[in-house]
Amino acid sequence: MKRREFIKNIGLVTGAGIATFSIAGIPVKAFARPFMNVQGTNGKILVIIQFKGGNDGLNTVIPLDQYSLYQTNRPTLAIPQSSIVSLTAATGLHSSLQPLKALFDSGKMTLVQNVGYPNQNRSHFRSTDIWLSASDYNQTLYNGWIGRYLPKAFPEYPSLPPLYPMAIQLGSVQSLLFENQQYGGLAISFQSPNSFYQLVQGSSVDNDPPPATLAGDELKFLKEVANQSIQYASIVRDTSSKGNHTSNYPANNTLAQQFNIIANLILGGLQTPVYLVTLDGFDTHADQQNAARHPKLLSDFAGAVTAFQTDLQDHNLADKVVVMTFSEFGRRVKENVSKGTDHGAALPIFVIGNNVQGGIIGQNAQLASNKLDGNGDIQFSYDFRQVYATMLKDHFGMTDTQLNQILLKQFSTLPLLKSSPTDVTDYNAIPDDYTLMQNYPNPFNPSTTIKYALPQSTEVRLKVYDMLGKNVATLVDSYQSAGSHTVQFNANGLASGTYFYALETRSQKIVKKMVLVK
Amino acid sequence: MSTLNYLKKISVWDADAARHILSRSLFGFTKDDVTFALTKTLDDFVDNYLLKDQPLPSSPTYNGTSWTTLPDNTTNQTNYTNWQYSLIYWWYNLMLNQGYSFREKMVLFLHNNFTSQYATVRIPQLMYIQNQLFRQNVFGNFKDLTKKVTIDPAMLIYLNGEQNSKGAPNENYARELMELFTLGIGNYTEDDIHNSARALTGWRVDRTNLTSSFIPNLFDNTNKTFLGKTGNWTYSDIVDIIFDSRDASNNPIAARFICNKLYKEFAYYQPNVDYINQLADVFVANNYNLKPVLSSMLKSQYFHSVDIRGARIKPPVEFLLSLMKQFGIPNVNNDILGYIRSQAGALQQILFDPPDVRGWQGQRKWISTITYPTRNAFTDNNINGYKISAATTLKVDILQYARSYSSSEDAIAFINDVTKQLIQFPISEMRKDELLSTLLDGAAVYDWNTYDSAAPARLQTFFKSLMRLPEFQLS
Repeated sequence: MKRREFIKNIGLVTGAGIATFSIAGIPVKAFARPFMNVQGTNGKILVIIQFKGGNDGLNTVIPLDQYSLYQTNRPTLAIPQSSIVSLTAATGLHSSLQPLKALFDSGKMTLVQNVGYPNQNRSHFRSTDIWLSASDYNQTLYNGWIGRYLPKAFPEYPSLPPLYPMAIQLGSVQSLLFENQQYGGLAISFQSPNSFYQLVQGSSVDNDPPPATLAGDELKFLKEVANQSIQYASIVRDTSSKGNHTSNYPANNTLAQQFNIIANLILGGLQTPVYLVTLDGFDTHADQQNAARHPKLLSDFAGAVTAFQTDLQDHNLADKVVVMTFSEFGRRVKENVSKGTDHGAALPIFVIGNNVQGGIIGQNAQLASNKLDGNGDIQFSYDFRQVYATMLKDHFGMTDTQLNQILLKQFSTLPLLKSSPTDVTDYNAIPDDYTLMQNYPNPFNPSTTIKYALPQSTEVRLKVYDMLGKNVATLVDSYQSAGSHTVQFNANGLASGTYFYALETRSQKIVKKMVLVK
Repeated sequence: MSTLNYLKKISVWDADAARHILSRSLFGFTKDDVTFALTKTLDDFVDNYLLKDQPLPSSPTYNGTSWTTLPDNTTNQTNYTNWQYSLIYWWYNLMLNQGYSFREKMVLFLHNNFTSQYATVRIPQLMYIQNQLFRQNVFGNFKDLTKKVTIDPAMLIYLNGEQNSKGAPNENYARELMELFTLGIGNYTEDDIHNSARALTGWRVDRTNLTSSFIPNLFDNTNKTFLGKTGNWTYSDIVDIIFDSRDASNNPIAARFICNKLYKEFAYYQPNVDYINQLADVFVANNYNLKPVLSSMLKSQYFHSVDIRGARIKPPVEFLLSLMKQFGIPNVNNDILGYIRSQAGALQQILFDPPDVRGWQGQRKWISTITYPTRNAFTDNNINGYKISAATTLKVDILQYARSYSSSEDAIAFINDVTKQLIQFPISEMRKDELLSTLLDGAAVYDWNTYDSAAPARLQTFFKSLMRLPEFQLS
């Protein structure tokens, strides 16, 4: 290796910004625009808020129809009836959630009551892992449900990763949510796009293979993370600086500041489909109603999502985005001796966005002692994985088969979202976006069929490249009409191996891989 | 069926073995430390140096004033932020000046097992008292320590023990005592939590005298059934019953749980169950005294295998402080310690403030797309020079450091020696070649010498490259 190349590899090239690097021999800079199709995300975005510590669902969504029973169980913690924000005659919100009423009244917020799972685990950590991995209570998974979803949305990963991050976590410690058994963590984490860029600037990618030992596994992991940060720091900074939020995000509210960053990224055009933010402090064993504790957390949540929703609406982006909350468990119905609540079971979750149906799914938590579980906790009516199934299918457009593969068993969806995605497999109609289908047969010898579709009439080139990025065939180079097209590729005269075929137009470049086996 | 003896002692006590032990038991070490260790036998070095009982250090001060015994009151509270910083710096100094003692790393281990967060406790004096409790018992009896921690004032505040009374007990401490501190999840029932919470009632914190006290009429003075045993149990009985508890095959649950944690912290983050079980047998045979367990672990062949050497991702505080020790930064003053504290925060490890009651998860959780480049920026800054305040610039004297190697004028031998000293991961020949081209920067290998006018710049580039390597993140 030449000295100059090595210096680049170990991260000392300065002044060059993000260095060019290669994936399977093809310089990434060749793909100057996001080239991944959006079939697997449906062009949608999901923002997940984790309420860390176990949110007291009963002081969040209050059963007005059982107020006296609620008050008996919560002599010091019950929210006075007069300050409860009523949504319906039977159901109200904690007074700190006042801003959410407008969202609810305009049909932009859906509450799902009593979400949980059978045999509730009351350990923070185990139950958090259950929610993040979408496992059964007695099953341990080392990967997250979003980590299993993302490779289905980006089927070319990792050979052709998208030019934008598949997922973003605001924070510094990668969540299990994004872990994939095969590929490791699929999200990038940072706290501010600018400082992220500045830190990464000047580093470049390292492809030296590690030894096959346990220690070597750790080295491989370190390289992967370093490479991810190099790959995405620049696009994150650039899109963030393009985004220009207009909404007024409340001060003294860290969640709102995080939503402000996410809004800038979405407004700037980043196509990342999943974001995770965390609000910590819900483990309220004592002095729960202290203004700095549960009320402050709820008020931060309400202020942040309200500002975010306004921002998206102002920029006509609110149809793309859904916000959902979760927490590892709700809390005990009966308060403890320290004016707090211990670990409980089911709890309500919030789903917010233009595309939600609005209203309340399910009935209020049932507080009568014969309706509680043996521990005195609220029983679940909906499995949390039904909510996930709904997001995957009705928001991201996953098929039933993909849904079962991601959630590992079958879950029915809930009537949460207004519109289901259009059928993306109907290629005879004029599509919404440029589409390049996987060739068939694949692998092939010597000929194969490639289909693609155009949303509008345009100049089109369909080219074939070898592993070194050399153009070995040009199948189409003409002005074509909108709609779907088919070409045959005959590989006579080419050697066995992996090839790439690229659909290039003035504004788009989509690349897929095919394998010739002679 | 014969089982492999995982605790069999290594047969070769050489520089590689010494560097491995030093890297896992100290917060950084120098070439001289390796030389010193090898003047002793393995047994002598481990048992009489690393695991030697040491006198307790004197207490921290702020602006020359001792604050650790002052009562918690509104006047003193105005100083708490400063006191807490001085406490962190005090501990950094103990880590930096620990000599050949494993103690401070074990104190950090105990802090991460029996977690308390200053952000919740809000009384530096109590964080100090808890920290000294760990130090006092660092190589001693873990079961006794568990009892002391249960009624430790900071812990009583952190997990609401001081708000636990008969009637409607607060379950917070009871659950974490079993789940996180001693047994692990799945080894008790929800009823065991309710009932042990009753046995733990009655303790209160005296904020004037900085002590805890037992108030009999707040105690649930009735029979409780806990882990299958019924009696009018107290907190001490609960801990005894926990440590007596056995699984269906009569294996000691707590001993295995704690040895798993020791293994995870000091050997490798994914368990080797057979090895851990053998360590647990040593733990039980020695009545839960830590010293024999640590001694067996540090000397064992498996601990020294290629799988384990270089497989641990350096925790932030160790990553930051070891640089000070390795490069011999003189006068590590409070300006530098303040800078280290801020970097430790960015890297997700503020002492006395773990992220939650489970503590720092370590290993891969230390590394994200933001923390990795933050580490690189820190190592770069040490070499480039970083002005912390008008009076203090942090900068490695790179020429002096290079010349501290007898091989400094022989480029190939120098790279061999430097990578061995600074990187515990077995570095490939290809990497060494790459580092050599970086150092030479186009010059011929026989032309290399540190007296060349271009040498300081080349050394700077070389050391920055070396410390940006992923291998450098491992120990």
